[in-house]
Amino acid sequence: MTLLDVQALDAFYGDFQALFGVTLRVDAGETVALIGANGAGKTTFLKSLVGLLDHRRGEIRFAGDTIAGEPAERISRLGLSLVPEGRLLFPSLTVEENLLMGALNRRPGAWNLARVYELFPILRERRRQSPNALSGGQQHMVAIGRALMSNPKLLLCDEISLGLAPLVVDQIYESLGRIRAEGASIVLVEQDVKRAAGAADRVYCLLKGRVTLHGQARGLGLEQLSRAYFGT
Amino acid sequence: MIWVETIVNGILYGGLYGLLGVGLALIVGVMRVVNLSHGEFIVLSAFIGVSLVGVFPSVHPLVLLLPVAVIAFALGFALQAVLINRVVTRPDPFAAILLTFGVAVVMRNLMVEIYGADLRHLQAGRLAQASTGIGSLQVGVLPLLILALSVVLFTALQLLLTRTRFGRIVRATADHRDVVRLMGVNPGRVYNLVMGLSLALASVAGMLLAIRASFSPYSGVERLLVSFEVVVLGGLGTFWGAMLGGITLGVAELVGLRLDPNAGPLYAHLLFLAGVLLRPNGLFRVRT
Repeated sequence: MTLLDVQALDAFYGDFQALFGVTLRVDAGETVALIGANGAGKTTFLKSLVGLLDHRRGEIRFAGDTIAGEPAERISRLGLSLVPEGRLLFPSLTVEENLLMGALNRRPGAWNLARVYELFPILRERRRQSPNALSGGQQHMVAIGRALMSNPKLLLCDEISLGLAPLVVDQIYESLGRIRAEGASIVLVEQDVKRAAGAADRVYCLLKGRVTLHGQARGLGLEQLSRAYFGT
Repeated sequence: MIWVETIVNGILYGGLYGLLGVGLALIVGVMRVVNLSHGEFIVLSAFIGVSLVGVFPSVHPLVLLLPVAVIAFALGFALQAVLINRVVTRPDPFAAILLTFGVAVVMRNLMVEIYGADLRHLQAGRLAQASTGIGSLQVGVLPLLILALSVVLFTALQLLLTRTRFGRIVRATADHRDVVRLMGVNPGRVYNLVMGLSLALASVAGMLLAIRASFSPYSGVERLLVSFEVVVLGGLGTFWGAMLGGITLGVAELVGLRLDPNAGPLYAHLLFLAGVLLRPNGLFRVRT
């Protein structure tokens, strides 16, 4: 069953066109990796999906609803949740308050405060602290937990391994497995091609705002990937 | 002894100044916008108070604080929803500030048109003259009540912002206006409520100030000036800082008047200037 269906998406920042006819599909229960170099349009693509970028053309269907043009606050209630690039936690709130912000939509499902603390036990210890007092990896955990609290059908993760020690990245990716087990689909935006392809069912590669490659993660050769990634 | 009394009165008066400023501090903290019509709304609430006293002469003005605050809340909500939300999301904060300046000018002239330019005063009856002895000090009952009310309102605001779901949403919106949208929050609605709250607090201060000092439609500028000094002295966007800033200004003003009866609020303004030069981030950095 198709959960997310994006057809010929164009996106703009003012006069600058950042995405050109991007077509992408995510099935229910699937993990899709979206890879590409800096400035390829990965973050722009996610922003267009969640409604933070008004300037766009094309069709976006999510769980049967057309969401292109809908405001972000309404899209979030449909079960589309973003772990934003750079985490963007609320520094004026404690860790626990940050997590509770994710639950404002009151969507029913498997995830709640207790389950997020089970997934990331360190957050329970740190729940009364400001997120600024946490390490980078722990901040990523808060961002993921916050997104999970709304019980999304589709979790969008923007560069969740950026700037983290490999051991911490392992831990974060391990948690993704448990999130999948609860039934959520995942879109993984990454610069780390190997890591993303290893965790995903299918891979899309963006280059300068265009999809240059898509296919099953397992069948992709390194040479094929690097050509799509660098455009050589 | 007279100095102790002056300082005590300054503290009592300063609580009111803090209350004038805290609504503005709230707006600056949450929206990063200075509401230049803040003073006009303070004066307008005093006029509404005077009108209500005219309609209900048997009701004590302090009881009328509640309906005035409710009206001010509604006005603030409408001001934000109809006007300020149109420009507040622009990257350049100047648009919103200019807009509030325009609102201030229009309101000032409307108030002259409706109420006339005469000086007005809110009568509080016998309560205004009553005083009580604390040790060997004579202190007015009304100023004591006003300080107590200020402290209660400050505490309530603090609890609202730190302990409730609404407060969580307000703080999160102040941090990242776009990110809260991903959680289903419409920042514009949060702003409406915050502006309502800001002007409700300002209206209470405006009514109480109208009992202590006369006002005209032109008093808004002075009120804004005091509010602004309170906010800056206290540290932009902090609430207990605003309270302490108000008290500092109140004490400076009354001590100044004792030294030089013609000085008016000159010494408070000088203190503000010194404060800004010496501690540009505010005298009291009490982050909320």
